[in-house]
Amino acid sequence: MSGRALVISIIVVAVLAAVPPFLNGYARSLLYITVLYVALAYAWNVISGYAGYLSFGQVTFFGLGAYTTAIAVIRAHLPWWEGALLGGLVSAALAVPLGYLMLRLRGAFFALGMLGMAQTLQVVANSWQLTGGGSGLFLPPGSNALPVYYWTLVIGLLGFATTLFIDRSAFGLRLQALREDEQVASTLGVHVTTTKVWAFVISAIMPGLLGGGYAWYLTYVEPVSAFATRIDLQAVAMTILGGIGTLWGPLIGGVLMSQVSEILAAQYPQAYLMIFGGLVVVLLVLLPRGIAPAISAALERRRARAAQVQR
Amino acid sequence: MSTPLLEVENIRRAFGGVHALDGVSLRVNQGEILCIIGPNGAGKTTLFNIISGVMRPSSGDVRFQGQSIVRWPPQRIAEAGIARTYQIARPFARLCVRDNVAVAALARERTLERARRAAQDVLESVGLASLADRPAGSLTLTQRKRLEVARALALRPKLLLLDEVMAGLTPTEIDAMAVFIEQLRERGIAAIGGVEHVMRVVMRISDRIAVLDFGKKIADGTPVEIADDPRVGEAYFGTQIDETGAGPSFPLKGRP
Ligand SMILES: Nc1ncnc2c1ncn2[C@@H]1O[C@H](COP(=O)(O)OP(=O)(O)OP(=O)(O)O)[C@@H](O)[C@H]1O
Ligand SMILES: [Mg+2]
Repeated sequence: MSGRALVISIIVVAVLAAVPPFLNGYARSLLYITVLYVALAYAWNVISGYAGYLSFGQVTFFGLGAYTTAIAVIRAHLPWWEGALLGGLVSAALAVPLGYLMLRLRGAFFALGMLGMAQTLQVVANSWQLTGGGSGLFLPPGSNALPVYYWTLVIGLLGFATTLFIDRSAFGLRLQALREDEQVASTLGVHVTTTKVWAFVISAIMPGLLGGGYAWYLTYVEPVSAFATRIDLQAVAMTILGGIGTLWGPLIGGVLMSQVSEILAAQYPQAYLMIFGGLVVVLLVLLPRGIAPAISAALERRRARAAQVQR
Repeated sequence: MSTPLLEVENIRRAFGGVHALDGVSLRVNQGEILCIIGPNGAGKTTLFNIISGVMRPSSGDVRFQGQSIVRWPPQRIAEAGIARTYQIARPFARLCVRDNVAVAALARERTLERARRAAQDVLESVGLASLADRPAGSLTLTQRKRLEVARALALRPKLLLLDEVMAGLTPTEIDAMAVFIEQLRERGIAAIGGVEHVMRVVMRISDRIAVLDFGKKIADGTPVEIADDPRVGEAYFGTQIDETGAGPSFPLKGRP
């Protein structure tokens, strides 16, 4: 990251941290949802963007985090954030064996396998007494919005920092190598399985932590919304639009999609999904690799031209 | 005599009814250059797949420095000192040329920065340094072949498996590659080359030649011995040693 990008980032973070107490409920919830989705997009981007394993089931860990937190608060009377930390831990613990199992599958099989995983947990939540069955679990109500917002912001920042690390580290290079060709990576000395399971664990911890906050924010958890495929699709679409496997993609795609969809929903409540879908398609036709790579390419061209002028 | 660097013992591998390798044994000593020649479908690539660990044989053993490696995963074999190239070059297309090589250098270097520096040095040695920042997917066929070699070298192997590194090159490029392979000997790196054509170069650079046909080794010896071998000599080399280097295809009938 250049010096200027760093300064801009610090200002953006400072604003994101300072502003919420002064916002009304609607603006605050919009900001929360935006930050939540950006954070989920950063999580998804590790396993799917850098490692190349498209997943339609990272919401498995989001729901797991939400339920773990609700159960921890109701049964063990833990503070919600301890419950959410536990949610992250449980997600990581599940991700290790699940990763060894699922990451043998390639392409659509992995994507569908993860989708099946989310559906399975949904069924379990629906029928288990501990999780309150179809009606779910209710948490003590209260003014939960601000702490959850900051919790989510911190995890989003961790997601960004993790991606920054991956983008510049040996681990990240190995991930990208196995994304391009797993067999070649292995004959060049890359420990393929270990590397991708690590990526999967990172992509599981974050939704686990975020789901806990979400449960506390809504003050309830129920099977359908906790394991909603829609949540995954949203994170997937945001990342692809912003630039899959890039540092800035999830942020750019996330902010853009949440704002535009919000504005459209207010203006055209009936037709907004159609317009929105159309916009995404048009953008992806124009910029097939997403927005972030297009911006980098433009900056690169400008730098090259400036260098030429100097000579 | 000390243990050979690599011993391949009675390897068999069948695909359905096809015996790709039918009891092949080989030895390679440290710093030795062995060329395996044989027509299309003779089993050269299958042998490289088995030595490098990406494929298991139906039976038989592979020992490297006296240790059986036949059940090891590919990354462990790579770390032990066996590097390979792929017949059809398989660059990491979206990574830059330098990072393609750095992936392999990471097996030896602790930090990414040092791996990239090591990669740059290797690229220098194969003449790709000026393309280091280009995406590997944009390279030409010849450049891709060199990148294959560069990545393998970055592992600092004791044994290099070169699968048809000369195929598709012009005579000048073949000569350059031949010089390069001969230099390996001075660096103490052993090599096994799988070669379908270019007998002229094979005769020049090999310490030994093994002839593979329909999964069986039918001859193994020095270039002179091979040329004199009644089973191969006349049939293979009578008209094969041509000056273009990109000689006619093998007289043996290969599999389609
Ligand atoms: N993965 C595979 N599945 C099925 N058959 C295979 C496979 N790999 C190789 N074969 C068969 O095994 C035989 C030996 O093939 P191999 O690729 O090892 O030959 P080669 O000597 O490398 O030939 P070429 O000059 O074409 O590279 C061929 O008949 C081939 O069709
Ligand atoms: Mg072959």
